[in-house]
Amino acid sequence: MHRIGLQTARHRFHAYIEICDGAAVVDVYRMIQYDFRGTPFGSRRAAVNHHAISGLSMPGSDLSRTVLILPIDKVHVILLNEYLQSKKMLGGLLLILPRNFDNGGKSSSESDSEDANGDGTADVAALEQWLMHNNIPYPVYFAFSDDRVNGFLKDVQVNDAAGRPATASTGGYKLVVSASDAKKIASASFTNIQGWLWGLRGEVDVAGLPTIAVVASYDTFGAAPALAVGSDSNGSGVVALLELARLFSRLYANTKTRAPYNLLFGLTSAGPYNYNGTASWLRGFDQRVRENIDYALCLNSIGNSDKIWLHVSKPPDNPVIKEIHENIAALARDLGVTIEVRRKKINISNSRVALEHEHFSRNRITAATISELETTPDLLDPLGGIADRRSNVNDTVVARNIKLIAETLAKHIYGLDGKNVEVFADGSSFAVSPDYVKLWLDLLSRTPRVAPFLGKNGPIIVALQKELAVYTSDVGVQNDNLDGSFLFYDTIQAQLSIYQVASVTFDLFIMIAVGFYLGILFVILVITTKGFDDLVGAFKRPASRKLKSN
Amino acid sequence: MTLFHFFNCAALTFGPHAVYYKATPLSEYDTAGSSIKAAIVYLGTTLIKLVCLATFLQGTETEGFDFSQEVLKALIGFLDVAGLYFALTQLTYRNISQTHKFQAVGLGWAFADSVVHRLAPLWFGARDLEFTWDYLLKGLESNANLVFTVSLAALGSLMWLRKNKPAALVPFIYASAGLVATMPSITSYLLRGLHWDLSKVVGFELAASLVVAFVTWRLYSACQRPS
Repeated sequence: MHRIGLQTARHRFHAYIEICDGAAVVDVYRMIQYDFRGTPFGSRRAAVNHHAISGLSMPGSDLSRTVLILPIDKVHVILLNEYLQSKKMLGGLLLILPRNFDNGGKSSSESDSEDANGDGTADVAALEQWLMHNNIPYPVYFAFSDDRVNGFLKDVQVNDAAGRPATASTGGYKLVVSASDAKKIASASFTNIQGWLWGLRGEVDVAGLPTIAVVASYDTFGAAPALAVGSDSNGSGVVALLELARLFSRLYANTKTRAPYNLLFGLTSAGPYNYNGTASWLRGFDQRVRENIDYALCLNSIGNSDKIWLHVSKPPDNPVIKEIHENIAALARDLGVTIEVRRKKINISNSRVALEHEHFSRNRITAATISELETTPDLLDPLGGIADRRSNVNDTVVARNIKLIAETLAKHIYGLDGKNVEVFADGSSFAVSPDYVKLWLDLLSRTPRVAPFLGKNGPIIVALQKELAVYTSDVGVQNDNLDGSFLFYDTIQAQLSIYQVASVTFDLFIMIAVGFYLGILFVILVITTKGFDDLVGAFKRPASRKLKSN
Repeated sequence: MTLFHFFNCAALTFGPHAVYYKATPLSEYDTAGSSIKAAIVYLGTTLIKLVCLATFLQGTETEGFDFSQEVLKALIGFLDVAGLYFALTQLTYRNISQTHKFQAVGLGWAFADSVVHRLAPLWFGARDLEFTWDYLLKGLESNANLVFTVSLAALGSLMWLRKNKPAALVPFIYASAGLVATMPSITSYLLRGLHWDLSKVVGFELAASLVVAFVTWRLYSACQRPS
């Protein structure tokens, strides 16, 4: 009979919820889309409305109308590249990252399908590299695997293997992302943060004291802006800078241990784009500040290796460079780290700035970059990004490098040359804090930091600013826009709806079945209520009319 | 092609009513007016029921089967019976025989019920991309509903319109009418209390509708004999 009013209303509402639950909705992260000097790169489309398929060569499928779903460990970059270069169109690409991607994809429950940690990272880096440097005319999304996604992927694979790929006529899974094409980000901004530790003013005004700058860029670049965390490049540098600020602020808190040097800490942004942020930051410097900087140390990727390089622009026999190198080398030996100098002359006519210290050098400030990178990276080299996850950084290495840099600085500013003093001895109250290092590495590895998408006051920027304000004074923030060579597009995250669609054949079958049922019902009712003759009579009349018209 | 699916489900939900009208002598005697009157009475009854529910029912949104609430809902459900009584007895019809009267009333009532309860969900839900069996099942449910309504109308006409009934059958008539009237509560209990699947519940409804139809037919023909 009929359901009672309120119950029906509730049931109807319940039915709406059921409808929404029927389709699975998954968070997906879009690949980056950018123009470099007018040339388009990255994924140029955002909307998806196609059936799903699990491989490039499935018989009976029209790939330009399907979305290819690949778990990361099944990606063959060469095949994808071949497909792209042959100008064949794809409906879309969905890449599935393992659930515990941050921890190198290892988890106690997933032991069968994960590659060895090293291989896994290499594949992602190669994939990222290919994605970032190509113009891909179809939408590309990343998603994390979970039970629903795995189940649905398995279904698609089974259907494909059985020779029934999903198409409009056979039904199957349909993926929909309802997003309009991405728009350009009109003014991509970045934010530089700086803080001062003022030295001991003697007869000289504090501003007249010599300054040492410690700089690190905090942003990264990757294939998906919502996922690119760059734990080593340059999370390790940021953590080192913060810890140095913390340690020296403790020393500077007491006038007895305050050195006659100012320490300037700079967290710069827009690093991957020729260190645009650093250039802008330096442009804002007062002439006096600029003249008083003895030297600047730029920290970049110091979390992974026992061998680090001191990249410089000035010749190594320059007295300042020589002193830094000798100090740091002596200390490095004690800590088990190898350090070498690498010099690259700057070319003013070339706008490419591969390492941060070059901007200082162009402004005639002596500077060096401390990094585990041996060669200067090319523009948008695979540094940082998605592949650079938490497991890529070694806490001990970072802590050791922090100690190395701290002791080197202390030696210089306290004039400890020749004296065998260990300022930041392990176990002392000035030791490098492993907990602090871990805490910030964890946080940075969880926070995607692609500058154009952080906005002026993204949470991580505020957090870094606040942290620097705890240990330094006169914390300043500088906003600026990226120069015109890079143009970014928005839509970095979306929701993917996975529908299970019935094929047209099924609908036809249902139509025939319902028609048949209604026909049978008609016949039965006529026979039982009016009698068989009437039924026959119902069919006879049109026939006789036909005869008459003939 | 989900509009296709919508048409399929709509055909399954509303088709039988049209077929019933066309196939049986109802169309010959042009009882459309009676059916429409019955549909209007249905709408009025539903309105009164909604008001009663809103007044007396507590707004608990629990998913489970609350016995006292369901009893209250069943009592309010008997308003349906009152509505049918009103439709059968109070409205004036053109001179149609009793058999056709209850069929026309039952048909109009069931059609209005299907439209009110199933058209909107069907329109908004069946056109979705995601395929579920729900709408086809609801269509089958509408079929069962039609049988239940016509049976209840038949029993109602026996109870209120026919004056001479064999005494032995009277308790059966009232019992069957009571059973059919409480059918919504029973299905609700199956769905919520026992947590049956929708397909199972619809299967139960279809089977029950056939049983009820058979019983009603027997009772009706048994009451025909004296006159």
